[in-house]
Amino acid sequence: MTTTEQSQGFKQLAVEDFRISEEPFYLPISDEVELFESAYEQKIPVLLKGPTGVGKTRFIEYMSWKLHKNIQDGQSGVPLITVACHEDLTASDLVGRYLLEGEETRWVDGPITRATKVGAICYLDEVVEARKDTTVLIHPLTDYRRLLPVEKRGELLEAADGFILVMSYNPGYQSALKDLKHSTRQRFIAIEFGYPDRDQETEIITKESGVNPSIASELAKLAEKVRNLKEHGLGEGVSTRLLVYAGKLIHQGISPRRACEVAVVWALTDDLEVQRSIEEVVTSIFEE
Amino acid sequence: MSSVEALHDQYSQELKGFGASLPDDLLQGLQGLSEIYDQSQLEQWVKIGVSLAHHSLRSWEATSEFFRVSPEVAKKLTFSELKQWSEIGTYLATDASLMSVAFIKATPIALDSLNFDELDKWAKQGQRLCRGNWKSIALAALYFQQSASLLNVLSLELIDRLVDIIDQLTERSYELANSVLESSYDIFSNLAEEDREPFLLFAKSVTRASWADTRLYFERGPKLIESISSHERTIFLDLASKVTMDVGRQGFPLFVDAAQSLEEIPLEDQKALLIFATNIAPSSAIASMEYLKSAPFVRSRLTTEQMERWSEVGVELLKMGNAEGAEAYFRLESSRAEEMLAALSARVELPSVSSMLRMYAKALSGEQVAVLSSEDLVDRNIGWISEAAPTTEGTTIYLPPFVNTFEEQDSNFQVYKVFTTHQTGRLEFGSFNYTFNINGQHTESSAELRESDQLQHRLSSDVENEEDDRSSQTVSTEIQRYFNLFDDRLLISGIFTIVEDTRVGSYVDREYGGIRKWLQRLQNWEVDRRPEVRAMGLRQAFVENLLRASLGRPDTIRWPQDQYTTMQKGIRALQIVNLEDATVQDSAEVASALYDIAVLIPNIPLESADVEWEPPDEEMIQIAPDMPGGGEGGEAPMPASGEELDFENPDQPEFRGEFKPELVQLMMKLKDQQQGQTDGTASPLTKEQLMELLQNSVEITINEWAEGDLASSLGMFLDNLEKDAGTPAGEPKEQSGESGDERGGGDGGDDEELPVEIDWFYYDEWDFRASDYRPRWCRVGERLGDEGELDYYQDILQKHHGLVMETRRQFELMRPESFRKIKRLEDGHEIDLDEAIQFYVDKKAGVGPLAQIYTRRNKIERDVAVAFLLDMSASTDEEIEKQRQKYQEEEEDFQDDPSKYFQWLAQRRARQAIEPPKRIIDLEKESTVLVVEALEAIGDSYGIYGFSGYGRDNVEFHVIKDLEEDFNDRVRKRIDKIDPVRSTRMGPAIRHTIQKLDDHDAKVKILIMVSDGRPQDHGYGRDRTEKEYAVHDTKQALNEAKRKGITPFLITVDKEGHDYLKQMCDDIGYEVVDNIESLPRRLPTLYRHLATE
Ligand SMILES: Nc1ncnc2c1ncn2[C@@H]1O[C@H](COP(=O)(O)OP(=O)(O)OP(=O)(O)O)[C@@H](O)[C@H]1O
Ligand SMILES: [Mg+2]
Repeated sequence: MTTTEQSQGFKQLAVEDFRISEEPFYLPISDEVELFESAYEQKIPVLLKGPTGVGKTRFIEYMSWKLHKNIQDGQSGVPLITVACHEDLTASDLVGRYLLEGEETRWVDGPITRATKVGAICYLDEVVEARKDTTVLIHPLTDYRRLLPVEKRGELLEAADGFILVMSYNPGYQSALKDLKHSTRQRFIAIEFGYPDRDQETEIITKESGVNPSIASELAKLAEKVRNLKEHGLGEGVSTRLLVYAGKLIHQGISPRRACEVAVVWALTDDLEVQRSIEEVVTSIFEE
Repeated sequence: MSSVEALHDQYSQELKGFGASLPDDLLQGLQGLSEIYDQSQLEQWVKIGVSLAHHSLRSWEATSEFFRVSPEVAKKLTFSELKQWSEIGTYLATDASLMSVAFIKATPIALDSLNFDELDKWAKQGQRLCRGNWKSIALAALYFQQSASLLNVLSLELIDRLVDIIDQLTERSYELANSVLESSYDIFSNLAEEDREPFLLFAKSVTRASWADTRLYFERGPKLIESISSHERTIFLDLASKVTMDVGRQGFPLFVDAAQSLEEIPLEDQKALLIFATNIAPSSAIASMEYLKSAPFVRSRLTTEQMERWSEVGVELLKMGNAEGAEAYFRLESSRAEEMLAALSARVELPSVSSMLRMYAKALSGEQVAVLSSEDLVDRNIGWISEAAPTTEGTTIYLPPFVNTFEEQDSNFQVYKVFTTHQTGRLEFGSFNYTFNINGQHTESSAELRESDQLQHRLSSDVENEEDDRSSQTVSTEIQRYFNLFDDRLLISGIFTIVEDTRVGSYVDREYGGIRKWLQRLQNWEVDRRPEVRAMGLRQAFVENLLRASLGRPDTIRWPQDQYTTMQKGIRALQIVNLEDATVQDSAEVASALYDIAVLIPNIPLESADVEWEPPDEEMIQIAPDMPGGGEGGEAPMPASGEELDFENPDQPEFRGEFKPELVQLMMKLKDQQQGQTDGTASPLTKEQLMELLQNSVEITINEWAEGDLASSLGMFLDNLEKDAGTPAGEPKEQSGESGDERGGGDGGDDEELPVEIDWFYYDEWDFRASDYRPRWCRVGERLGDEGELDYYQDILQKHHGLVMETRRQFELMRPESFRKIKRLEDGHEIDLDEAIQFYVDKKAGVGPLAQIYTRRNKIERDVAVAFLLDMSASTDEEIEKQRQKYQEEEEDFQDDPSKYFQWLAQRRARQAIEPPKRIIDLEKESTVLVVEALEAIGDSYGIYGFSGYGRDNVEFHVIKDLEEDFNDRVRKRIDKIDPVRSTRMGPAIRHTIQKLDDHDAKVKILIMVSDGRPQDHGYGRDRTEKEYAVHDTKQALNEAKRKGITPFLITVDKEGHDYLKQMCDDIGYEVVDNIESLPRRLPTLYRHLATE
């Protein structure tokens, strides 16, 4: 079923390549792993909700690695197909389209079709960015029917066993305008992702950046403090991702203050006064 | 018969005809002169007198004086000189005999200071003042009278100057000239000799520039220059003269101000300032004086070198020819000057860092803390008294108004940071969370044990202690109950403060490695300033040593050698709170143990006795934490003899500031109580309990109550506390249901109408002082606008027919450019290439999708929603005519032609009769009509709302047309009824509009507020005149709109600078409609721009 050939202008990757073959590092924050496993078992679509950079993508990669399912060749993990959603995403982009090859035409599956066929985790990242008429397309896939209508071919595809639809969604910076339709939302269970606590975050930073635990813990402390400033022009608190960046820079030999400046302070806000305040927190925590 | 008698007899008869006393005067003169003059000279002398008497009408009076003083004069003048003198007298008599009399009479004394040669000059000076009228004659006479003594203090030349001044004054006021002349001797005799000339020179300039100030100058001048160093007075007065010559009447006030400023400057430093001022005076006289005026302030912030650099910038401005700029600079009225000052000054001012520190404190603590000046807390009179120390009362961090500790600005900022961190630390690490008898991490609480011991002791003791009835007292706070365990409250409070600050300091040191360096610097700074331990009583020395250890400097401890283990025990106990997870409970327990040690130490001074005060050894510095055990090791007994000193707690280190846990817990309790959150078990505190607590607390210094009666001071204090605890109560008083029937407008009860249906909504309000929202602070009542007549709308349409057509056309024109493309249409204007190719491929593949390859720009796709928010406050009732009047009438100049003015008045009245004067609200309404017409043409969704109200509980929100509502006659009728109502609380109205837009589905959302620029409401700010609160809240609301993806835009029709919003709205779309009447034309145009971008 899977295709590996390359054709002009359209780069295809085999579904196997979407598979996560090495265990990604993921530190469970609460019961999200069990929840997801159960949902997967019960074929319930999942919505991952939370601010940016708290590990939603990492989590889904981890789950894809962790879930052993009916894969013929005995490889570990469930294939993961990720679609980054944007405004101009059309139904064809998701489902598939005909391509011209010489005088012939050839049908190429879109990512959602492929996922349906191989029983993969189909991960729609930032789903609210997609147009509403595109989102509606997934409705039949998410209820008990688990069907994908492929209009152009006049087909109805039934989802393979391992298939699950997962979307991510950041409630923070979306305008109300872009909110999900209720009929879409209510087809998913929602797993909330919050910021990890200081110890957990310390562990993540240590593992991800290679920096020593004491510095990682200072970074986590900084994060905690900065997150206290949420309403002050900071749309969101500092993400774990940024802390990992800071840790990596420090690991490379950049001084902690400077690393935090570029990875945390400036990345977070353009408001000079808020910048200055965060900088003072940084200089209070780090000696140099 | 002697020659004297002969001469007397010979002329008596003749002289008697002039005046009866003349013969006697003659005789007196002859007798005095007979010794000096020979017969012929005497005769000549008499003849001179007689001819003087003949000279003019009353010149015999001069003769009389001549006869009388000649013997005196003859002693100083030769006979021929005397003759010439008499000739002077004669020519003066020609002008006025009174003047001649005064001249002759004053001559003997004048000759003490004058040579004969100078007599004539002197006389001419007086003659100058005489202008023939009687006032001038009297003045000239006064001149001779005064100048006799003036000559002692002023040279003839200087007197000449004085006469110039007086002469000039006579042109305005003889009375003033007289009084100046009369006071001259006193003034000049009191001035130092070298100051007299410059004083006079400046007086001349003053008189010339503004004669009336001369009196002031003569009155106040001498006093004013007294504060200037004697060497520099001349420079200053010269400068003042030059300035006054340059700037005229402004000169004198500048002189007064500058002199007063110089008074604040030490004598030895004045010279440099004056030289600088003199140097710049040629470029700008005003600047030089302004410089002197600002000098004390600038000096208070800058060192001498810094001040030089600061001044240089002003000089640069002068060099560039920008005198006005330089003047403003030196007057400290230019932001450049302030920026320079701030940049150069090492001193850091709280306002420049407070909002940043607030955010910093908030980040550290995670609490909604505010940062204010300690002065504010003292003003609140709730128990804090130091205006210069940092502190906190549990919700706000108070910092001194400025920090000037170090010489570099950054260091002083770091001081602020340490202050803030320590105070935040008290919140973050729980200094105020003490709970009675809870174990710490490292200690077990002895509180309960102590309490029962205390009770036991009290029961068993026979003596009824009247005063100490604390056992009967119901305690109100946990910490109070703890303090009650100890007999010496002062001691326990002092020790507890040290211990708890040690703990907080340790936490700060561990958690915030980055400021460790500064914390240590301040600790060392404090240690260097500690008082000498040796002079203290022993107990006090013990506590002082604890404090030094607590500052991380056990090496500065000094303690009697033979008592060392006691000190060691203390330090060891203190170390416990340096352990990683020590809590406030540990602090309390450690403080108890230290108290037990301290009470046993007599407070006797040991300085004189030959006691060896030792610095600690290594072991003590490295000492391990431990609670003091029960058993005592062999140590020398405490000294027992000597007189006990009063115990005082050591001064708090500045960076730790005041610590008042008892008051803080009390305030928290009061707060909870007022918010109805008492935990059920405890009954609310009674007034008596509170009074008792305050009386017992050592956190309130007794001398605060010393004045007046204790009870009433405490009462007032308590009121303040309660008020304070009550202020931030966030809940609105009552809450009606989501929707209810309620009369709007409060007291508008005179005309009965049907009850309006009102939906209530609650919104937060932004308190910029606290930098925080007041939750659910405002209640907005939404109701449908009243309906008026349909005619109004039609009339406006008709009146503005041309404009309506034009606007519509413009709006229709804007369509194409702003309309968005819709893709995948079967029919449309353009072909989408991507889609076309796809379609071709699909077709080839045999799938027959629809040929959706067209795109179109469509009206439906135009996805704009706009809400207009109209100010319906009473101030919009103002007539535009009246507003304009204020400007035009001044310009129109009817001064010379009254008939023109009446003509104009009549015209205006006629105009008004045809067309009643327009109000701002009328223009708002007309604009609304136009906009509605335009929007109907274009098809955007729009809402029209009006707002007004009174107080935070009753913000009226009138719906003229809701966003979802279709345009119809009811809407038209409602427009008629848009009327001025009450106040302007913009914030909640904006927030409600945001809510409406937010609920509406559209890609582009716009909020346009039309107002007269005056947010004003009851309780919208500290008082009615304060604008800041309202303006900040409005601005905040507009920012909220932005955050919700709504474009806010403000239009104000204010012309009189009432526009408080403008300054705030730097990043928000804004327009002041210059010509108010252009609003109806302007509004649609603006909208067009907004909705296309
Ligand atoms: N629980 C976690 N375990 C391991 N790594 C984590 C965890 N949380 C965050 N990270 C780190 O943070 C980085 C960002 O996480 P990720 O990309 O999954 O964020 P996200 O939630 O998907 O963000 P966005 O919403 O912006 O896509 C990861 O690369 C990883 O380094
Ligand atoms: Mg992601």
